[in-house]
Amino acid sequence: MAERLSNREGIKGMANPTRYGIERVAYWLQRLTGLGLLAYLIGHIYETSTIVNGKIAWNQMLELTQTPQGHILLTLVIGMCVFHTANGIRVMLGHGGIGVGKPGQPEYPYKAASLNYKQRLCIWVSIALAALAMMYGASVLFGD
Amino acid sequence: MRESIIMKIHYGTALGAVALVAVHILMRMSQKFSDSLQYQNVIANYHFLPYALMLEVLLVLLSVHGFNGLRVILLELKQGSTYERMINYGSLAAMAALIAYGSRTILMAGMGVS
Repeated sequence: MAERLSNREGIKGMANPTRYGIERVAYWLQRLTGLGLLAYLIGHIYETSTIVNGKIAWNQMLELTQTPQGHILLTLVIGMCVFHTANGIRVMLGHGGIGVGKPGQPEYPYKAASLNYKQRLCIWVSIALAALAMMYGASVLFGD
Repeated sequence: MRESIIMKIHYGTALGAVALVAVHILMRMSQKFSDSLQYQNVIANYHFLPYALMLEVLLVLLSVHGFNGLRVILLELKQGSTYERMINYGSLAAMAALIAYGSRTILMAGMGVS
């Protein structure tokens, strides 16, 4: 029983991205960005609902959100969105068997067929695309 | 519903949402970002029926995808029949509530009720 409980890390296990390499980081980022984007979606729907209260209410909401802090938040949302999309497409392709190697007898030096260099490269490309999108987004938001 | 079908819905809503979010962002980029947020411009978006319909579809896709994603995360954390039932129905209720609230905005702004 004690051993079973010690293996049950729960939320602490999920929140720890440090084990198992870049794939684990991608898994962790996918969930973290997903939660962030869901929070933003709820906030965005609430924010836009003020339009039905008229021009004054809308302008008051804009004063609250169109600030440097609001723009930083939006820049983060852009990054989260791009990473979640690109990494999500990688996961989808992987689930469909695209980009993962064929199973074979393990021979030295043991190369993983499932999470091979193509998959790892896709994770880094997702991170790079997110960084680029954030830079572009920030230039649009702060350049206004 | 089988989890394999739910995952197909999850991936389908993801791909649909990516396409529609791109259109939604491009609409903001069609003019200066701060100008696109002006009251008249936003109201004009809601009065343009195809765009309002697209927003409604986007709202449904993102709500289904978002709350199913949350459901998956919560089911990875803990298992058990009562807990799983609670999470499944809770996610469905939250999804329906968000869609209802967002649809209310689209309908009221589109019909000029304010």
